[in-house]
Amino acid sequence: MSYVKNCRRLLFLALLLIGLSACDLQDDLLPSSSDERGTVVPGSIGHLPGQIAADFTIQDMYGNDFVLSDHLAGGSNPADVVVLYFTMWCPICLSHTDHMYSNVIPQFVGRGTVVYGLVDYVSGSVTATYAQAQANGYITPKFDILADVNQAVLNQFNGAMGITVVIDSDGTILMNEDYRTGEKLTRILDQQLP
Amino acid sequence: MIMFNHLRAVPVSGTALSLIAVAFTLALNSTAQAASCCGGGSASSLVLPKFSKAMIDVSMDYERYTGQWDNDGDWNAEASDLNQYRINLGYAHRLAPNWQASVTLPYVFNRNKYPTLERNTNGIGDGTVSVWYEAFEKITCVWDVKKLEDLIPAIYLGGTLTVPTGTSPYDDVSDNFDITGRGAYRLDASVLIDKTVYPWNLSVGASYGKYLERPVNKENGSYVEPYHKQLGDRFNTNISFGYTYFTDEMESITGTLAYAVLTEDEARIDGVIDTTSGFRKESISATIAWASENRDWIYKLTYNHSPTKDGMGANFATTDIITVGVSHVLR
Repeated sequence: MSYVKNCRRLLFLALLLIGLSACDLQDDLLPSSSDERGTVVPGSIGHLPGQIAADFTIQDMYGNDFVLSDHLAGGSNPADVVVLYFTMWCPICLSHTDHMYSNVIPQFVGRGTVVYGLVDYVSGSVTATYAQAQANGYITPKFDILADVNQAVLNQFNGAMGITVVIDSDGTILMNEDYRTGEKLTRILDQQLP
Repeated sequence: MIMFNHLRAVPVSGTALSLIAVAFTLALNSTAQAASCCGGGSASSLVLPKFSKAMIDVSMDYERYTGQWDNDGDWNAEASDLNQYRINLGYAHRLAPNWQASVTLPYVFNRNKYPTLERNTNGIGDGTVSVWYEAFEKITCVWDVKKLEDLIPAIYLGGTLTVPTGTSPYDDVSDNFDITGRGAYRLDASVLIDKTVYPWNLSVGASYGKYLERPVNKENGSYVEPYHKQLGDRFNTNISFGYTYFTDEMESITGTLAYAVLTEDEARIDGVIDTTSGFRKESISATIAWASENRDWIYKLTYNHSPTKDGMGANFATTDIITVGVSHVLR
């Protein structure tokens, strides 16, 4: 009988743990569909859509400086749109970037200029970023492979694995969310490019 | 032969031995996902031996991320040090002669170390609640096959609800390293067929799981335009083959080898198929289990390995998992 009592105690403990987790994790147990996005002040600096992206400089996998403002209007190498994708070279990341390479980029060839940057925030050095790009078959001129050695760009955009940031030529952030199916990125590029 | 005859007189013991293989086969149904970025942390289901009242199970997993298969099935090694530890608590209870229920809950520790980034997080993983029906009335473990009836296997039919008690990318997390769960409810229907003709055992299992659609209004702690997401259907098949050795004290030592294939279909986002999702994973396992004379205590050590070869998976991580566990059966 003591065994049964102990079992009941353990069961109670397990249920208690589930209950406690439920208090903290309502986002999953009772997910909400309400739109909780706050309003942003147009022209303010930040990471949210509608805000202006602060300028940053990081090195690409060849050791060259990549300066955001160089690719905005008035910069030395302006583009119509800058796309940043945060990668840790994980299966999901590679699935997204493969999709971008094969399905998104070809749709907009000849329509303006787009900079597609893959921001590697885990490799820790320019050489390690190059090695990862090479190992995963990303030595291609279609992407700028960027080494975010100290996660400065990751933190600036509140990034994470799979987060895709789209910036227009004025520096305004148009998108900052998971890549998902790539449909939203495609739609924005279609709207922005001539 | 004396030993065998003795065991024949204690049919429950036979079932307890069979339990080792059954539990092991079920363990292969577990999510077994590597690295916090992918959302791991599910514990496996439990199955109670026939005629037993209850069972407590405690196990610890150490899962090491070894690499990944890409979409084409090409494998690449992992350069960083990515690990997940799990403590799994489980309890199974008999509801009726042929019905039993169980709950499992893991606690997950993520240990991820990159050259300039180290994240150590922990939290509760996704729990499960299962109900099993035993489609057999008496012990099916036999020592000799003398008639056709002796070949009848034990068949278990089960349903499992995975509860998203873990932390998912849709919770209030700072980034993907905090993740301990998938973030969605899943219903699994399972069938397990097990046959023991001492000292050999063969088990085959299959399960089909369907995730429930959920709304999402937050990603990695930032609110986004709400949408609906449904992860892809899961199909898991596994087969295991075991051999049991009995000591002079009637303790048993069972070795089991198993092979499993896990697939997950593509997810849907607002009803649109997400072609970047879905995966397939093959794995092999070896287990050694020791059961006490009365089969009330079972100690298990399992090594699970994802072959680091091209074509044995797609769009998924490869891992090695070492599991140490103990089950205590209450009569």
